[in-house]
Amino acid sequence: MTRYAMVIDLNTCVGCNACMAACAMENQTPVWKNKWRTYVHDKEIGSGEDVHRRFFPRLCNHCDNPPCLSVCPTGATYKLDNGIVKVDEALCMGCRACAMACPYDARLEVTHDDVETGREFYGEAYRRSRPSMDKCTFCDHRLEQGLQPACVETCVGSARQFGDLDDPNDPVAQMVARGVARPLMPHLGTRPNVYYIDDLKRRG
Amino acid sequence: MDVTMSYTTQTVWTWWIAVYLYLGGLGAATLVVTFLTDMYLKNHRALVLWGAFSGIAMLSIGSLMLFIHLLDPLAVLHVINPLVLFRQPHSWIAWGTQFIIWMMWWGLFYALPYLVQSERARRVPLLGAVLRLKVMTRLSNRCCLRFHKTIGWLATINGIGVAVYTGLLLQSFPAVALWHNPGVPLLFTVSAFSTALAYLLLLLNLVIKNEEDYYIKVFYERTDTMLIAGELVILFSFFHYMAAGNESAFRSAQLLWQDMGWLIGFIGLGLIVPFLLELKGVIKGWASRLPIVTASVLVLAGGYLLRHYFMYAGVYAHPW
Repeated sequence: MTRYAMVIDLNTCVGCNACMAACAMENQTPVWKNKWRTYVHDKEIGSGEDVHRRFFPRLCNHCDNPPCLSVCPTGATYKLDNGIVKVDEALCMGCRACAMACPYDARLEVTHDDVETGREFYGEAYRRSRPSMDKCTFCDHRLEQGLQPACVETCVGSARQFGDLDDPNDPVAQMVARGVARPLMPHLGTRPNVYYIDDLKRRG
Repeated sequence: MDVTMSYTTQTVWTWWIAVYLYLGGLGAATLVVTFLTDMYLKNHRALVLWGAFSGIAMLSIGSLMLFIHLLDPLAVLHVINPLVLFRQPHSWIAWGTQFIIWMMWWGLFYALPYLVQSERARRVPLLGAVLRLKVMTRLSNRCCLRFHKTIGWLATINGIGVAVYTGLLLQSFPAVALWHNPGVPLLFTVSAFSTALAYLLLLLNLVIKNEEDYYIKVFYERTDTMLIAGELVILFSFFHYMAAGNESAFRSAQLLWQDMGWLIGFIGLGLIVPFLLELKGVIKGWASRLPIVTASVLVLAGGYLLRHYFMYAGVYAHPW
């Protein structure tokens, strides 16, 4: 059984935002409202002369115990056997409970107006037909074709790595198993499948 | 990574959800108290009609608040269908929607015999024509009257479900410590019944105005006094839970307990002042209706403020 996961190395993310652009083009997100499936936060850490910029990419963590799924009243949010959490836009009524439940701020609104604007912005290739609470899908349509998610493929610093946790030879599974890559806020019980390699320890 | 946490409140569910939670709890508890009073304290047509229809109106307005803010209102059909509970048994909104819908139906059926007998209702142009239909008389006599207590209890169970649901909904969001704890459903349920009693006291004092209802009013005042006292105890324990421990909870405590609207508006005017007014009424009585009417208005305002501040004071902790 495949269980997809992503490892993000905060040491090698240079904050170029190419992942955001690649994701937006691939998944046709409402960028005109600054809404993204993945976002890179830019933060200054430290004080005085001892300051460094940290770029922190964030996306849906495709939790094993996703609170967005358990609060969804219509069943629009569902989980595939491979661990990917998806949204059925035909079922989604857009109550936003998923956005309230998600600790990783991974949900974005797509309104009727966004659908209209999307038709003009992305042209004939625009796939969306109705509003919903959108989210990252790990580019499952690309995975079906044997490709990597758009953000992973485009990352210039190889900060994003994608793999299968159930494959012991996969580098992603090995980094997770060794504890080099760790999940965000595991105490919440969401059991996320996006892991981070910390940069602060290396910086001392 | 944890050392670089940032903390933020949300702008997704704001005042309109506070209105939804407030009117949902108030409307449902109003129906419950009304029906229990009618079943076990005193048969009271006026109270049932006023309580049932204002309760249903509150539930409708509250639900409308959520409905008009949906991204795709047509898709609400998926959650109105009772079968949704088999597909999403873990979603409190799914349960809450069903509780609200069935609460309104049972409320309507419970009040129908009183409505059919009401001369005033039969004179209302469209409503009167409907009530004079034979099918309505049959429905009223053969079903509603025959199973009146069963319907009353079905309404009561659904009403309690709605009141508890308003708290469980917030409890199901694990990222916010203020919401994700078992005290919230308890607090919201107590508050829902306290505001319902306050609303019914307003009805009895200002609208129905029947001297024979004196002992009902005294019973409501006594119960409300205990509920407000319970609410203060729950809030006291909330304060201690938030003041030490989780950073998200601590930041929520800072937001709440440094805000005059919360401190003076909700705790002072919405709880302590009506508690003292009602306590004096219970112990020594009041010469006029004004203090209890004032206390009721304050309790109703406080009930909204509680939910309003709860929505705005929920703090998310983000590790970026």
